[in-house]
Amino acid sequence: MPSRILVAMRVPASPDRAFAAFTGEIGAWWRGNRLFGFTPREPGVLSFEPGAGGRLIETRAGGKVFEIGKVKVWEPPERLVFGWRQASFAPDVATEVEIRFEPFGAETRVTVEHRGWDAVPADNVALHGFPLVVFLQRHAEWWRVLLDSLKTSMPPSS
Amino acid sequence: MKPASGLDATLAALADPNRRRVVDLLRGGARPAGDIARAVGVPPPAMSRALRALKDAGLVVEHHPPHDSRLRIYELRTGPIGELRDWLAETETMWSEQLVAFREHLAKEP
Repeated sequence: MPSRILVAMRVPASPDRAFAAFTGEIGAWWRGNRLFGFTPREPGVLSFEPGAGGRLIETRAGGKVFEIGKVKVWEPPERLVFGWRQASFAPDVATEVEIRFEPFGAETRVTVEHRGWDAVPADNVALHGFPLVVFLQRHAEWWRVLLDSLKTSMPPSS
Repeated sequence: MKPASGLDATLAALADPNRRRVVDLLRGGARPAGDIARAVGVPPPAMSRALRALKDAGLVVEHHPPHDSRLRIYELRTGPIGELRDWLAETETMWSEQLVAFREHLAKEP
């Protein structure tokens, strides 16, 4: 069963520009976050090596490089898929991120799909409604149903 | 982010469809091993492997009722699932923040 996190947003740019900025300028716009670091150290600068087979890497101040994942699909200006690993993950645990860029009037809708423990390809993702600001689409999928059902029977974990 | 060794075990344990079906089934409450095998529809040897993997990952616990030491009853543990829930929530928040940053980056252009 597919399990995924889906977040989408409209950005003021064409798909071409959005794809180019997402990949080529990630070092400028990505917010390093110690809470959600790839490694336990000070966050570094992210960059993509362009093209399928390239990598998404984090380069720390000392020059050390951590590979977040390999680029699996590089289809400008529509689709980008890459692996996603945090240093704390075991070697056999891999997650995958797919970014889609779709024209929306003069702008672009950017959809991030982060697939968890299984890599089942997404079936049709229907986005209902589209507010101007961020919206989070939470799918009532297997894990979500599971987690919701458990919320009622246990205190939130700290 | 918390140390993810437990999360790793949870993710790895849930990578198998039969094991996910077991977890799904146990949401409804504890069940004997035989019941689980019948409901999921896999042969007992495959089911004992699945249950052992879930037990090793800390996702389920095994009980023996006092009157019958051969009967094994399995129950879901909620701790690991809570950790997974936290990770999913953190990841969701992280991406919405990154997209906001990305939009601001693009909006800065003339």
